Amino acid sequence: MKSSTNQPVSNAPQDLGAKDPVVPVWLIVVCFLLLYWGAVYFDERGGWFSTQVYTPYVSTEQLNTIAAMQGPPDPRVLGAQVYGRTCIACHQGNAMGTPGTFPPLAGSDWVNEKEAGRMIRIVLHGFGGPGLVVKGQPFSTASVMTAFGSPPLVGLTDEEIAAVITYVRGNTEWGNHAAPVTPEQVKAIRDKTSSHSQSYTPAEIMTVNPAD
Amino acid sequence: MAEIDGSCRVPLFLMFVSGAIWLVIASIFGLIASLKFHMPDLFANCAAMTYGRVHPVATNALIYGFGVQAGLGVALWVIARVGMTRAAQPWLIALGAKLWNFGLLVGVIGILAGDNTGFENLEIPRYGVVFLFLGYLLMAIFILATLHNRGERLLVPSQWFLLAALFWFPWIYFTANYLLLSHTPVRGITQAVIAWWYSGNLNLVWFGLVGLAVIFHFIRQLMNRPLYSRHLAAFTFWSIILFASWCGVPATAPVPAWIPSLSTVATVLTVVTALSVMVNIRKTCGTGCAQTENPAPGKFIAFGTMAFVVAWFLNALGAVPGVRSVTGLTWYGVGVWELNVFGFFTMTMIGAIYYIVPQVTGMQWPSVGSPKRHYWFALLGVLLIVAPLVIGGVVQGLNWRNVKMSDLDVAKNAVKFLRVTTIGEVFILLGNLMLLGNLIGLSVRYYKLHFVPVYKGALAEVKTAGVKP
Amino acid sequence: MRHGPLVFLAAFFALSASWFGFVLTPQVQLGRSVQETNSVMKAELYPNDRPGNARQGLEIYRANGCVYCHSQQVQQNGMLVNVVLTDAGKNTMAVADLLNEEHLGNFSGPSVGAGLPKTILTNASIDVATVLAKNVKTAGGVTQLRLVPVGPDIERGWGTRLTVAQDFVADATALPGSLRVGPDLANEGGRHRDLNWQYVHLYNPGAVTPKSPMPAYKFLFEQKKIGKQASPDALQLTGELKPAAGYEIVPKAEAKALVAYLVSLNSDTPLFEAPLTPPAPAKSTNAPAK
Repeated sequence: MKSSTNQPVSNAPQDLGAKDPVVPVWLIVVCFLLLYWGAVYFDERGGWFSTQVYTPYVSTEQLNTIAAMQGPPDPRVLGAQVYGRTCIACHQGNAMGTPGTFPPLAGSDWVNEKEAGRMIRIVLHGFGGPGLVVKGQPFSTASVMTAFGSPPLVGLTDEEIAAVITYVRGNTEWGNHAAPVTPEQVKAIRDKTSSHSQSYTPAEIMTVNPAD
Repeated sequence: MAEIDGSCRVPLFLMFVSGAIWLVIASIFGLIASLKFHMPDLFANCAAMTYGRVHPVATNALIYGFGVQAGLGVALWVIARVGMTRAAQPWLIALGAKLWNFGLLVGVIGILAGDNTGFENLEIPRYGVVFLFLGYLLMAIFILATLHNRGERLLVPSQWFLLAALFWFPWIYFTANYLLLSHTPVRGITQAVIAWWYSGNLNLVWFGLVGLAVIFHFIRQLMNRPLYSRHLAAFTFWSIILFASWCGVPATAPVPAWIPSLSTVATVLTVVTALSVMVNIRKTCGTGCAQTENPAPGKFIAFGTMAFVVAWFLNALGAVPGVRSVTGLTWYGVGVWELNVFGFFTMTMIGAIYYIVPQVTGMQWPSVGSPKRHYWFALLGVLLIVAPLVIGGVVQGLNWRNVKMSDLDVAKNAVKFLRVTTIGEVFILLGNLMLLGNLIGLSVRYYKLHFVPVYKGALAEVKTAGVKP
Repeated sequence: MRHGPLVFLAAFFALSASWFGFVLTPQVQLGRSVQETNSVMKAELYPNDRPGNARQGLEIYRANGCVYCHSQQVQQNGMLVNVVLTDAGKNTMAVADLLNEEHLGNFSGPSVGAGLPKTILTNASIDVATVLAKNVKTAGGVTQLRLVPVGPDIERGWGTRLTVAQDFVADATALPGSLRVGPDLANEGGRHRDLNWQYVHLYNPGAVTPKSPMPAYKFLFEQKKIGKQASPDALQLTGELKPAAGYEIVPKAEAKALVAYLVSLNSDTPLFEAPLTPPAPAKSTNAPAK
């Protein structure tokens, strides 16, 4: 028999002139069935592209339910998060601030006052101006602390302010050992000082009674 | 025809002989890696011979040294033949192959020295990757030029598959290596997702496209009848591109659930690829394959086809939720990988080599029965490697779920299956040595036939001209 | 080909879809993750930076291909809940009746308030537990819900919760692995903290896990003459593994780094996406004990 191995392989039109069989119907049906199964599977288990849903959980609603089941989170967590988002830029991660520009929060008597009235006002309405001395070091007049009391831009809610102040006041690693602060206290002071639109100056804040 | 074949001779020789050498290296290292499970103290004092360095050398030598290189060589020949045109710039293609080999050599030495990147199938360190990529570009550009020069403008399925593969490899290779190994790599688990994406695309999409292109071509070549259905071939093509390109991420991965879900769905869907190929080939072969005086290539390619269908079926099965909870992260996946890369792709390429080299050189293999012997060794080897891995993987998965069995006992039980796998590795090594021996034997005969007379003639001319040699 | 350019474009888009889905989107979603204070229970950064030696150990882990046999991905099959009664309230009879109705025990008014806190329901589904908690609250009592992840990996002791992307944020190379020849290492630091055990296991796995298929890593150690006194980190070997008299086996810097890395592997912190109730701390603090 003549060897077929040395013939040129033609892809010439006579090859293709014959009717080309179509894809078998059953294969198309299988393909669609599997696509349907795939769609259902992804709907059930895919978490709909959420970054937080991992197998075996199915949705962020389920994760929220579970989170709620564990009771309210440790307020220090919220405080640390707020600090890490907001305060860390100036006061630094170790709460030592920058000499001359941003005062430290670690071991500062401004932080460790028995009543937190001054601290709450500072966070709500901002702070800056001449004559600031913290732990014996003077700080410049040029830098002004933003007012964090008013949402939506840089503003924090009462819970967040209370959490971050509690976190800073109670952080023993930083040498602070003052009592925590509740959101109600923050709200009371916010209402009391609602008409105070300028940031506090050191001179002005010294006239405030912390227990107020 | 002979002219077309002859134009390919230089690059093909280089690629096939280098590929065969890398194949032998891969088998040797694979055997050493396999032995370490049974003899943990083997080479215990040698850092370069630890399992974690020997294993990636074996896989990379197999995939890049033989797989991609021989794949490109066979692709060149298929494109030249089908397009009825000479290879474009064969010396530049050969240069590309040299760059490729250099990059791989440098990379392999780097892995043994400890520069293993840690990502599967991407272990070659940065300094090797650069050469591999440049070599690939050189080879691929001129293979595409050969395609461009074709006589008949209408493309057959083999050509579509090869065209897509030639374009896809640089994309995945560059993306993965750049994002993982550059000076500013991606961070965290994203690295693993990209590595899995690359691995799935290389092993399933690239090897699938090139291997099937070769199988489709050789069915026509060896049996002198056309493929049963172009439409089915198109269906196979689109199913590979749409579904297999999303495979690779294991369902257990520590990533948000949408990533492994999409990958699972895609992997199960690749079963339609296997089915379409099965139908197409069955209907083409119909009443049996024609006999030729050189049955060995046909045997390799027939086995490659069956291995493709089985491997892709097992791969899809391994992703089905109920099965995956048993087979996930076990030897099952390794067995399926071996069946796909060695049983399907490597066997197909070896069969193609056994057919192409005589065509291109005009000579026969030194030992007529040797390719057939190689086939039986390789067949035995693949079965002895894959079957225990797949079965052992299932057993191992069931054992991991049985909490009463300690970690150590599960590991020891799994290793019992690996004893059979090691024997299979020995057979594979012997078979690959036969391939290398055949290639070297044929090239020696070619040299003696073509170069020695020329040399002697030149020498005689010089003597008669009275000039002292 | 008639429709050549069209087919080429279609294939291009089909292939680029997978690039978009598995390269670009994960990078956008996960690639910019930073160490966050999202640990539910502690106001700390998670994940913590590994100590310097452990960071080098990760490089040794990578270079020697430990990832080919060990994974670092704990799986979880589900979540069950234990209900713990912490306060029986003023009207203990109401709580006792409720619990008796639910067939959770045979309580009387005084007995239900004794020995608090006590677990009244174990391994319940989330829905059942929430309903019980609500009913007890209506009856005047107070409960805590403790989350218990379940799965074979967790029962084997490989971890207490599933591994998530956040666990890998602090590592230069993420090596979750794809094959388990040996156990999962995501929480190795919790299981084998004894440095000598780790050293001996690396030097000769068969010594601590008999007939283990793990290869020996003797090249990470060296044999030295004992100086004035034995080195503090010399391996304590027994039997025929002991070196000749007057010699000791000492870990090289690579071994120390690798073991430091292994011992630093710990992913037990509860997160929003991987909830867990850690065991109650030994000392009572101001923070609510969960």
